[in-house]
Amino acid sequence: MKKKRPIQALNEKARAIQSLAEGEEKSVEALQEGPPAMPVGCTTIFDTGWETNPRPTYPIGNCQSSAKDFHGCAGDCWWPAQVPDGLTNHEDFDKQCPNVARDWRLIKYD
Amino acid sequence: MDTPLAWADHRIFSGSGENFIFAVEEASLFSLTREARETLSRWRTSESIELDRMPSPDLEVLEGLRDAQILFPASREKALPPQLKPAEVPLSTLVLEVAQDCNLRCTYCYADGGTYGAAPCLLAPETARRAVRYLLDNSGDRDHVTLIFFGGEPLLNMQAVRTATREAISYGRKMGKKVHFSLTTNGTLLDAEIVAFLHANHVSVAVSMDGPRDIHDHNRPDESGNGSYSEIVSRLAPLFEDASVPVAARVTLAPDQWHRVVEVFDHLTGLGFHEVGIAPVSPVSKALLPTAGQDASLLEGFGLLAGRFVAHARKGLVMPFSNILDLLGRIHLGQTKSLSCGAGFGYMAVDAKGGFFPCHRLTGEADFCTGNLETGINTDRINSCLGSLNEGREESCSKCWARTLCAGGCHYENHLRENHLGLPRGTSCKFIRSWLDLGMKTYAELRTDGAIEAMGRRLAQRAQC
Repeated sequence: MKKKRPIQALNEKARAIQSLAEGEEKSVEALQEGPPAMPVGCTTIFDTGWETNPRPTYPIGNCQSSAKDFHGCAGDCWWPAQVPDGLTNHEDFDKQCPNVARDWRLIKYD
Repeated sequence: MDTPLAWADHRIFSGSGENFIFAVEEASLFSLTREARETLSRWRTSESIELDRMPSPDLEVLEGLRDAQILFPASREKALPPQLKPAEVPLSTLVLEVAQDCNLRCTYCYADGGTYGAAPCLLAPETARRAVRYLLDNSGDRDHVTLIFFGGEPLLNMQAVRTATREAISYGRKMGKKVHFSLTTNGTLLDAEIVAFLHANHVSVAVSMDGPRDIHDHNRPDESGNGSYSEIVSRLAPLFEDASVPVAARVTLAPDQWHRVVEVFDHLTGLGFHEVGIAPVSPVSKALLPTAGQDASLLEGFGLLAGRFVAHARKGLVMPFSNILDLLGRIHLGQTKSLSCGAGFGYMAVDAKGGFFPCHRLTGEADFCTGNLETGINTDRINSCLGSLNEGREESCSKCWARTLCAGGCHYENHLRENHLGLPRGTSCKFIRSWLDLGMKTYAELRTDGAIEAMGRRLAQRAQC
């Protein structure tokens, strides 16, 4: 028998909120448990549907190329994308935004 | 390090041996296992939760609470409720005070015998026609609007009712909009011709009846002091027959009658009403203010009716008790309110002289007159008069778990209690919270045994209309 969830949605609003979280969880699981043949590099027309960030790191759920920019361009990277200064002033900038789809408004770095 | 999480406002409660949690801002409702409730009790006083530092037995529950958005990133700014402006909301409902006059003299009438404190007056058919056009012209992109015939006793002025109905149909057709009609009557003037008109135009009719003969006759005598029960009952049968829309009984009870709500409900459904809604009287005088015991007796009666509602639902039946149906519909959807009602925001009343008021109950209160058919609705005035009524209320509401379901309560009721009777703010809060609590427990009970599934759509439709 399936174990009862400790917190179960009752009304429609609660269901919507929980399924939002479930959707996020599943996309991470799928990427973590699936075959390691994840496409890397920039999005092409051949990997539509697999464009979400394959890393188990923040920001979860956004498109791969933007996730690469977000992390890959911080710190000592030369790539001139608009990301905060992750070495000195905004060390944990990505923690503000654990989920891009939901929390993008929280990114407030200059 | 994980993002520190903070607690969203919530309320934990129990019912039928189960535990529940209601998240205030979202109006989302969840059930909790016993273990989840225990974990919650352990951590809910902690200001900040860092999941990667939590003991593993508690982690599943705390993650579940994060997914339910009861725990949210502490850095997230609290979202402010949207601030609507009356000018931005197109008209959806217009109440026409077709007759500021009445043939009854109900003991609790807030409209001074239907006149709203002025000389008796009927709405001229031409004014009715203009009001209908005003509604349709100012309804923006809405394709459905509602016209309500009200009074006093609207059947005293059938000429205006007929003119307005004809105009609404023809002008609505021209504009590609549909008009729903609704009429609240005391029922004493219904005859075959009027009933045929109401049926033909699919008018939703609410008849004001207060229950068994002794209560009704005490509350609703005519001008010479005779009860109106027999007069009404003899006229109801044709109204129920072939009704294209449900006919509702609209009940008003004084505090000393509140212990009889179950009997009142049974009596009126027994007479053939398709739905019954019960309102505690507005305290137009101090004599009508309830005691704590009377409040408790009304809640007890409503509780018994809610219990019967659950028993019916388990058999697949919907008990036609408007109060609980409306409340369950809103809880089902998780509808939140930033305004207590639509008064002044899409909902307006026009008095018999063509003056606008934010709602039918505020009609005749000079401080709440917000324009007329000549000059149009003065939306700044709506803001200022409703604003002054609610000034300072946010402070106490911001600490209340019921705020997103109640949003401050009825303007008119607050106006009576605070401005007329000089009572402090919040004298009806306890009752409102108890009623919402009853609704939540009833919903949770229906949901846990699956009885709500069958009626979910119906409830949702009701809450959305």
